[in-house]
Amino acid sequence: MTEFLFFFEVVLAGMLAGTMYSLVALGFVLIYKASSTFNFAQGAMVFFAVLAFVGLMELGLPFGVAFVATALLMVAVGYCTERLVLEPLMNQSHDTMLMATIGLGFVLEGLAQAVWGVEVRRLDLGIGDFPIPWLVDNLGLFVSALDVTAGVVAAALIGTLALLFKYTKMGLGLRAVADDPGAAASIGIPLKNIMLAVWSAAGIVALVAGMLWGARAGVQFALVDLALKALPVLIIGGFSSIPGAIVGGLIIGVTEKTLEVYIGPYFGGGIEGWAPYVLAIFFLLYRPEGLFGEKIIRRV
Amino acid sequence: MNAKADDILTVESIEVVYDNVISALHDVSLTVPRGKIVALLGGNGAGKSTTLKAVSTMLQGERGKVTRGTITYDGVVVGDQKPSDMVRLGMVQVLEGRRCFGHLTVEENIIAGAYSRKLSKADIQTELARIYAYFKRLKDRRKSQAGYTSGGEQQMVAVARAMMAKPKMLLLDEPSMGLAPQLVAEIFNIVRELNQNEGVSILLAEQNTNVALRNADYGYIIETGNVMLHGAAESLLKDDKVMELYLGISKEGRKNFRDVLREESQSHAAIHHG
Repeated sequence: MTEFLFFFEVVLAGMLAGTMYSLVALGFVLIYKASSTFNFAQGAMVFFAVLAFVGLMELGLPFGVAFVATALLMVAVGYCTERLVLEPLMNQSHDTMLMATIGLGFVLEGLAQAVWGVEVRRLDLGIGDFPIPWLVDNLGLFVSALDVTAGVVAAALIGTLALLFKYTKMGLGLRAVADDPGAAASIGIPLKNIMLAVWSAAGIVALVAGMLWGARAGVQFALVDLALKALPVLIIGGFSSIPGAIVGGLIIGVTEKTLEVYIGPYFGGGIEGWAPYVLAIFFLLYRPEGLFGEKIIRRV
Repeated sequence: MNAKADDILTVESIEVVYDNVISALHDVSLTVPRGKIVALLGGNGAGKSTTLKAVSTMLQGERGKVTRGTITYDGVVVGDQKPSDMVRLGMVQVLEGRRCFGHLTVEENIIAGAYSRKLSKADIQTELARIYAYFKRLKDRRKSQAGYTSGGEQQMVAVARAMMAKPKMLLLDEPSMGLAPQLVAEIFNIVRELNQNEGVSILLAEQNTNVALRNADYGYIIETGNVMLHGAAESLLKDDKVMELYLGISKEGRKNFRDVLREESQSHAAIHHG
């Protein structure tokens, strides 16, 4: 029984970690849907956003004010990106856009460190990284309160965005642009506004992801690389699918935790770092469009 | 040639260049009288699509540019407007190859056409009912994913979607492409109904000369970026050169327009010498 309970604990911890991967992956999916570009700057956006948030908190702003101010800052970053980077490059190849996002990443990383410095900051969300007593007493489960909060927040944010896409005019416009930007333009859907909305949403998602990661691991440059964990998530889930980002994140989270616990000791531990990529390679070999990736609909 | 008030569109000797070097149109002039259907005819690469895209400003997205001449739509000189500006002015283009949003349902596709208009949920339902009255087939398929509907249905979705923007003028690029004859007839019937009942003016590019001229009021034939011939649709249908080159009513093989004109001038010359 305790054996099973321990397994359950591991899976649950994996799923909770997975929702955070999902959240980061969602930032990528948003931009990929609107512009078919893999946004390499997403990691830098996570780092930039949470560093700005901590910076504002250090100035003595209350939590809520700092959050709203940072969210607005990320909208401004989205606006500048659209104006200064994407618009001049409109109609260029996807490779050009990809290179531009890599450049944007360096700019954001440099800017963040120039303004707020390079030392690791602590971010205290007021939620401890320790097991919830109630769960320990009643079910014998050791699950961190921070993990549970992160999981719930990530799930709520993802759910909200999914509903917005399904039921709002802007969401319809985004899905139309994702399918065929030329046809969307031909019926008067303004691509610029859609891009602006998408980059703003991706910026806010980056902020929330950065706060959740930062509270666990400290606000530091390594967040940029952590965000790249979203790559295997996207390969498994599919680059253009929101449900794919969610399920892909959960699969990665659960796989890496169970492998770490049960197989890790034979490899001397630390397989969390690379196991997701191995899984991703298997997907690339056998199901390259991912679990939920939109198959290209082609009538002959 | 001055733009008349009863012409909704006037194109005056435009030249179009892609990527600053590739010349696609040399000298194209045409007019679309308000409330009429005008057909733009010609083979592959003649410049039909380019002409439509010049008018709708969709050229920008393909690095093309109008380098000479003027386009006047409904009293407005078309210059550096964006496609979304043109849609707001009441001009919508239905692109070649239908270009439905494949992952959206048929109804979502049509609703997306109203993006430029500020409509309430109730208004959208009224508009949908108005559109479905023309496209009865689409009403039955409204919950289907557009990518999985037939080619004819997709063409209808594309036209229905454009009509949701409440256009004064529609630009249709090859609506008959790849469709069975009875479907082509069905679509052209709908286009005619839209023209008559909604008063929408239509400029349509077609390779299917016969169907296009039977449904249009006026026709222009273009080849290698120049207008070769134009006239009322009935007279073009009876024209010898058109019959031979575009309707295939000839025992000889297919030639191009230039050859026919050259032959003509040669035979004239022969007569004079004789």
